[in-house]
Amino acid sequence: MGVDRRNFLKALGLTGAAIGTGKPLGATPAVNEDETEFHGILFDSTWCAGCQGCEIACAEAHGLEGPALEDVPEVGLKRKANENRRTVVNAHETSAGEFFVKSQCMQCAQPACVSACLTKAMYKQKDGSVIWREEKCMGCRYCMISCPFDAPKFEYHSTNPKIQKCDMCYDRVKEGLLPACVENCPAEAVKFGSRRELIAEARQRIADFPGMYHDVIYGEHEAGGTGWLYLSAVPFEELGFNTKVQKKPYPELTKGFLYSVPSVFVLAPAVLLGIHSATKNKSNQDNENE
Amino acid sequence: MDAFTYTDIFETKGIEYLVIIAFLLILVPTWIMLNRPVKVKTQLIESMNGLTAALLRLPRGLFYNRNHTWTYLEKSGAAKVGVDDLLLHITGGVSVDFLRAEGEQVNKGDLIATVSQGDRQLKIASPITGKIQKLNTAVHEKEGLINSDPYGKGWICKMKPENWKTEINDCKMDDEALEWSQEELTRCKDFMAEAVQLINKDSARVVLQEGGALADFPLADMPGEVWNKFQKEFLD
Amino acid sequence: MSNTTAIEQPRNGKSTWKFLADEFKPKGKPFTWFNIISVPVIMAGIVIIILRFIHGLGYVSNIDQEVPWGLWKGFNVVTGVAFAGGAYVLTFIVYILNVQKFKSIVRVTVLNGFLAYVFYAGALVLDLGRPLKIINPIIGNSFGANSVLFLIAWHFLLYMIAQLIEFSPAIAEWLGAKRARKILSGMTIGAVIMGITLSTLHQSGLGALFLMASEKIHPLWYNEFIPILFLVSSVFAGLSMVIFEGSISKRVFADKISEKNKTGHKGIIHTFSQICAFAMFVYFFMHIIVFVHGKNWTYLNSRMGLWYLTEMIGFVLVPMVMFFVSYRKVNITLAKVAAIVTMLGIVINRLNVSIIAYRWDAEVPYYPTWMEVVVTFTIIFIEVWVFRWVVNRMPVYNESPAWAKENEH
Repeated sequence: MGVDRRNFLKALGLTGAAIGTGKPLGATPAVNEDETEFHGILFDSTWCAGCQGCEIACAEAHGLEGPALEDVPEVGLKRKANENRRTVVNAHETSAGEFFVKSQCMQCAQPACVSACLTKAMYKQKDGSVIWREEKCMGCRYCMISCPFDAPKFEYHSTNPKIQKCDMCYDRVKEGLLPACVENCPAEAVKFGSRRELIAEARQRIADFPGMYHDVIYGEHEAGGTGWLYLSAVPFEELGFNTKVQKKPYPELTKGFLYSVPSVFVLAPAVLLGIHSATKNKSNQDNENE
Repeated sequence: MDAFTYTDIFETKGIEYLVIIAFLLILVPTWIMLNRPVKVKTQLIESMNGLTAALLRLPRGLFYNRNHTWTYLEKSGAAKVGVDDLLLHITGGVSVDFLRAEGEQVNKGDLIATVSQGDRQLKIASPITGKIQKLNTAVHEKEGLINSDPYGKGWICKMKPENWKTEINDCKMDDEALEWSQEELTRCKDFMAEAVQLINKDSARVVLQEGGALADFPLADMPGEVWNKFQKEFLD
Repeated sequence: MSNTTAIEQPRNGKSTWKFLADEFKPKGKPFTWFNIISVPVIMAGIVIIILRFIHGLGYVSNIDQEVPWGLWKGFNVVTGVAFAGGAYVLTFIVYILNVQKFKSIVRVTVLNGFLAYVFYAGALVLDLGRPLKIINPIIGNSFGANSVLFLIAWHFLLYMIAQLIEFSPAIAEWLGAKRARKILSGMTIGAVIMGITLSTLHQSGLGALFLMASEKIHPLWYNEFIPILFLVSSVFAGLSMVIFEGSISKRVFADKISEKNKTGHKGIIHTFSQICAFAMFVYFFMHIIVFVHGKNWTYLNSRMGLWYLTEMIGFVLVPMVMFFVSYRKVNITLAKVAAIVTMLGIVINRLNVSIIAYRWDAEVPYYPTWMEVVVTFTIIFIEVWVFRWVVNRMPVYNESPAWAKENEH
């Protein structure tokens, strides 16, 4: 009959359109083909003097207030980044003396926030910087829930709230400049470069000065690898780092659920239709039971 | 997966959702197509084919009215009236009840008898005007007589016709009757197909068994409403 | 005639606008207990919502950089949606399994589910920093298909449409639109199947939201099976809500419900207690598996451990036993009590995962402000007002008009 044929052709056309307009399938490896490698920043806590030059430079570069004069790193004081400062320096008393640590967004290789963001406002660029795109964000704060480092900070007192977090100064890097904190560090404790080279350099430093460093690069494997890498003289717990962060990328935790969605969408209607057909004719028998 | 270049584990999610949408859209017509009552159609067609054989049992010399009754003028001057074979092959086994008594005057189109199967029935109207001389009690008493011998011993009544010549003009004979019968058969097939649709919609009353025996007499499996419809379409 | 009022041709020839205008006039007494309590709360809530938009989220709520989701998301969205699960369970039983016994309460449950989703989606939008941008993931400006929240947002939208289609024959009957009703009734089974599919995915999806916060949620509550646990618990959460709401409605709307339905209600509760007991049994054992898998006994000896035991034993095991007993002894009152305890248990469980066990170790533990609580209740009260408006006018508890009944299939 005419109706069947029409429907069938309509459906066929639609499938064709869907497949044609969707991204091309085929042997697409999940690896970026133009082989742009990630940038990273290496922070060596044995070199940092706690001068807060990075805090001031970062605030200036991003239109935020810098730290107040009396707001200095002190042992026992836990300073945290918030909507007014993207990075903070903290002082820690350890078994090998006092050290300073700069904290900010870790620029993960597979960021939880990017995977969590449903508007693609949190976005990982090809060069590795994880940025926040204002025009897309709806302020749901799911990125904050997902981030193992609690990096994104929200402007709770604004009617048009922004998310504040380190973005590896990608706009400066595009122009060929260095990130603000790197450029302004008098002790050269922060170094910018390709992640691969920075890891090699970090290993080199550990190898060259064996007594001086703890033999772990924090950020090499944490959360599946992060852009910010840390060197320390002591085990990282003493510097207030969260060492319980898993070594696999965080988006993999939702992979199982999201991968099963299409199967459920295909199987459930089919099974339900089947059961419905089977029980369609016994309706009258159950009518007045019990 | 190294951590030096970009890897997106959810790369294909977008197109997967598009495929799902396409699936759901195709699912609807697919499901509807799968649920069309296919078996029933073949049953009907086969039973209808069987009926063409019966068509040949259209004895010559009889006058066939469009309400599926026949009439024949005997030498005695009485007109015998009965129901035609085509109708009986559609209904299946029926019992006959008279609506009139001997000696009654009936006009053309008045109801004279009913053929019933269980609680369903069809009403038979007289093809001619006249006075009923005799009712065939045998067809009323003997089950199945009308089905086995509708033109012979299964006659319904004998009447003394009043306007034989004029009323006969409305009837068909011989070749014309054959042609008309075939048309009625086609009409009947369409009617049955429609009736089946009506029934399958109402799940509580699926009467036609799928995969069961051939329905030789299509009306036999139909509910009363279909009989009433049949009455309106074919016998009035 | 019995004490049910069938809705006759309501329009009586009025034009659509006059009809709708008349329908908006209030019926019933103005000073019931519910009205006296809810109206001030609603007014206060509206003021607070306005303040939230003028001064920002931080002005009215205690959420901060460590605990970004508070009572509105935790209660109104995560918990409320669990309670709306009655709709998909019931439509599954009535339309898929074809158990006609529950047909009398399908409409009101679907209505409740629809209103719940509308209002809780509203609560979600209220809790957004930039609510207008919610259009982004919908119109395709940016499809973040990698996000669980994307899935949930879309499912909410589609599910509300499916619920509306399921409920729309009642609206058509109210408006006297015969042909519309016929078309919409034909779409019911499709809407039901989509509804059940969507529900399974987003009930579990609400649990999947928290999967990435692996170290931030206390190990007694965090595990990989949160989605499945949320899905199973939504079954008995929804049914308990149906029992609770039905018991209240039976008294409040007594004049609308037929005698047959009133007596049938006891049988419905009885069967529900059977289903709930079974579902909770399964749920409890899933928790045991998870407990063993995570070697969680090491955490029991702490304040959170004690709280965990309270939730599991006091609010899952105990009501399960109550449902069991109420089924065997046909004790409807006990079933109703069990339903209330179960509902409290669901609230506790969902709040635990989203705001209590979430960053339980934060320096400044999160407690909702009184303003957050007021707005939470405001949303619930407004929903009840709309529910009451609909029930008083449309054939939800009432019998359908005669012309609709002929076409019932």
